[in-house]
Amino acid sequence: MTVLWPIAVITIKEGIRNRAIYGISLFALLLLGLNLLIANMAAHDVGKVAVDMALSTISFSGLLVVLFVGINLMAKDLDKKTIYMVLSKPISRSEYIIGKFFGIVLILFSTIAFISIFACACLFVLKAGYATYFPQFSWSLVFLGIFFILITLILLSALSFLFSSFSSTSFITLVLTILSYLIGQSLSDIKALIETSRITGAAVSPITIQVVNVAYYLFPNLSFFDIKTQVAHGVSIPVPTILWTVLYGFVYTSLAITAASLIFRKKEFS
Amino acid sequence: MTAIETKGISKTFKGDLRAKRVNALEGLEFEIAQGEVFGFLGPNGAGKSTAIKILLNLIYPDRGNACILGSDVKDKEVRRFVGYLPENPYFYDYLTAEELLWFGGRTSGLNKSAIAERTEMLLTRMNLTTARKRSLRTYSKGMVQRAGLAMALIHDPQVVILDEPMSGLDPIGRKMVGDLILELKSRGKTVFFSSHILTDIERFCDRAGIIVSGKLRCIDTLDNLLSGGNTLEKVFLHEVEKAGGREEL
Repeated sequence: MTVLWPIAVITIKEGIRNRAIYGISLFALLLLGLNLLIANMAAHDVGKVAVDMALSTISFSGLLVVLFVGINLMAKDLDKKTIYMVLSKPISRSEYIIGKFFGIVLILFSTIAFISIFACACLFVLKAGYATYFPQFSWSLVFLGIFFILITLILLSALSFLFSSFSSTSFITLVLTILSYLIGQSLSDIKALIETSRITGAAVSPITIQVVNVAYYLFPNLSFFDIKTQVAHGVSIPVPTILWTVLYGFVYTSLAITAASLIFRKKEFS
Repeated sequence: MTAIETKGISKTFKGDLRAKRVNALEGLEFEIAQGEVFGFLGPNGAGKSTAIKILLNLIYPDRGNACILGSDVKDKEVRRFVGYLPENPYFYDYLTAEELLWFGGRTSGLNKSAIAERTEMLLTRMNLTTARKRSLRTYSKGMVQRAGLAMALIHDPQVVILDEPMSGLDPIGRKMVGDLILELKSRGKTVFFSSHILTDIERFCDRAGIIVSGKLRCIDTLDNLLSGGNTLEKVFLHEVEKAGGREEL
């Protein structure tokens, strides 16, 4: 397991020196600058809009890092055959996956931390300027929101690893990861919609119900981690809910990485 | 002890949905002694790289097995004693040669001072000292090849496997690789290298094997192969013709 650190280090160096990450960070800073301008147009809702927009910026920028830096780092190893050089060293396939994943998690952590500093500075400025419109504001909820965004992104990265372990091109991995994100974000709403339809007596095809049920247990329910509305309205979240959500993210991520390692063990690099 | 041993290795690859399976290797069997320089000769698509990838556990044989220094190649610890240069190597774009060698050294179990010492020696040997802090994406093809050789040798391995090491090198680079192979030989290392350049095999190898269409057609010492006024070219063409694979040339 001592090989994990060198694999993570070269992943971080390769990721951080990639210009895409600077572009994404700059884009995030521009959105946060826009937040300063837009939020004060929201009259009494300045606080809510500012918090919502700050967290959305962090979330969207992180998503771009997962999709265009994380997936690319893994895919390039396979496409350009750099993996030959890595696996010719005494490194097992599982160690490669875990080391690489560890590196991408650290890239995500540092990028989110960087953008969050500016997001918090933006909130601080707006709160200082419009103190009366931030009645329920809580820094601890903002940090919890950022932490949950990080868990979502780590989970999504783990899924992208799983997809790249069996897909033949990085494009397929990208598409599957985006689909998982979209499905994961809307699962709760769709399930609730179907259950409401059943209660109200509206006709719903049994196949649709089955498909939604399968998807509900197969795909990660990312709405668990989306607490932007609660943070914007200053609604506190019970500690057991926080712990269960973190545990859910941890278990799902671990399962995805374990599955990726198992599939990767069988993969041939011809 | 035998450095490299393969026993009845066969490998087929699936083509596209409608294409039939391709026999990449059929019953590949050979032994290479420690300290030997062995040339693996064959036309393009003969199975040289497939055999090498099986030795590195990058692909798995359908039948048979391979051992390096007495251990099955499936055991990752074997690769602590193996250095490998892939054909047309590609490394991380944004890493420098120094960082690449640090990675190779750390993953092979070298300590900090050994990595520093070997890095210095190899970068000097490969004539990459001035480019050591430049990212690898700015390197020429020859420089990448030399960085790859340094990477393969960072942990001073017992067995060195080189897949087309002269590919893309200018005459100076080719001489450097040739000298390196001879130096490794003088230090008792085993060198297994694939090539379809006959003069390289003639110059550096103790023994050579000719592989055509996945089958090892002949394996012998250079002295025996070239006995009776034969040239390696004649032997090679004869083996390819015998195998009915002339079109592959």
